[in-house]
Amino acid sequence: MVYYLIICRSLTYAQRTAQVLERVGIPSWVQRSPKLISREGCGYCVRIPERRLTDALTVLRREGMSPKQVFLQTAEGEYSEVKP
Amino acid sequence: MIYLDSAATTLEKPGTVPRAAAWAMTHLASPGRGGHAPGMGAAKLMYDMREQAARLFHVGDPEQVVLTYNATHGLNIAIRSLVKPGGTAVISGYEHNAVTRPLHAIPGVTVKVAAGPLFDPDGVYAAFEREVTPGVDAVICSHVSNVFGFIQPVDRIARLCRERGVPLIVDASQSAGTLSVDLEGWGAAFVAMPGHKGLYGPQGTGLLLCGGDAQPLLHGGTGSLSVSQEMPDFLPDRLEAGTHNVCGAAGLLAGLRFVSRTGPGRIHAHERALARRFMDRLEGAPGVRVFRGEAQSGLCSVILDGLDCEETGEALARRGVAVRAGLHCAPLAHRTAGTQDTGTVRFSFSAFNRPDQADRAAAAVRRLAQGGRY
Repeated sequence: MVYYLIICRSLTYAQRTAQVLERVGIPSWVQRSPKLISREGCGYCVRIPERRLTDALTVLRREGMSPKQVFLQTAEGEYSEVKP
Repeated sequence: MIYLDSAATTLEKPGTVPRAAAWAMTHLASPGRGGHAPGMGAAKLMYDMREQAARLFHVGDPEQVVLTYNATHGLNIAIRSLVKPGGTAVISGYEHNAVTRPLHAIPGVTVKVAAGPLFDPDGVYAAFEREVTPGVDAVICSHVSNVFGFIQPVDRIARLCRERGVPLIVDASQSAGTLSVDLEGWGAAFVAMPGHKGLYGPQGTGLLLCGGDAQPLLHGGTGSLSVSQEMPDFLPDRLEAGTHNVCGAAGLLAGLRFVSRTGPGRIHAHERALARRFMDRLEGAPGVRVFRGEAQSGLCSVILDGLDCEETGEALARRGVAVRAGLHCAPLAHRTAGTQDTGTVRFSFSAFNRPDQADRAAAAVRRLAQGGRY
């Protein structure tokens, strides 16, 4: 499976992000940010299915929420940053 | 025992509170410290608690709800964030040591006391109107006096602060859970409250609602931005260093749910009715002075002629009535009301007290006043 990881500034922000997305039916999981992409140390991100990124970013923008970074996680476990 | 010391700590809690705290002890780990189920469970609980509080106290974003150890902790953060060495703070005449001591500890601070007469909201407001001037670092006002139950005109004081561009800190220690506490409506910089009084949570919990920038009091691990040696610049992490009191938060969430379900207005009406019933029973009792007013919550103070307030408290405890006597950590409030030399005996009611308890407490006070103290 391919996912997008929305990197958040804090656990609480990640929870709020996931809540906003879930509310509009976008499946979201809060998880630890992988160390490889978490340059500032410990942190949390929200994982969403590949096909829902555009919807997710639209909803977050509408709510005035801004993801710190977005990464694509491939089936092989590799990460590449996406510039939304 | 008739427990009438809820202004210090509510003793009887909704059954869900101890159950939630005990469950958390063995089922939840540390939020922000792991991705495993007990860690994420703790994270969910913390978020639910912040959300519940945000709804109850009109906070736009759960991130602005910070878990503290108590109201004093929150007030220290708020005061240290706003009042600088050599600065000026305006406080009401009914503040607790949780406000006056942190101010005293900041070098060179000028503290102006906007003191108005007891149970006179207009008089208090007029005093604030005189003292709040542009350039004041902060106005700090307790919503309800912890000694007399005097409800101060915080709505009007908040408006005054907004008009004059002065940040407001509200001490909601005696009002959270009973009166409308409205961070956004007030436009307050901070609102501090305990979790263990009117919110029916465990001791060792409190909330700080943040309407503006805050400076951390404690520095340490937050589970975020761990490469940096600076505290994060975002809430709640900025103010929550170290492991959280998750068990306390679990109990507090259960307490918040109880208050939300019951309704603060209903709880306030119940407590106020009991306090008035108690005071009615003491009406005309020889040697009993009751401090009573219209702008009063569900707590009140009395003095018995010729009997030391601490002795009164002890004698009532022997008769099975638990109260708080003395200066209640609020010498300024006693000075303002003219009771600094005598202190008072405080009776404070909770959602769980009953009318017959108010009657029996009043009867015990009457007997003591008639000389039946031993």
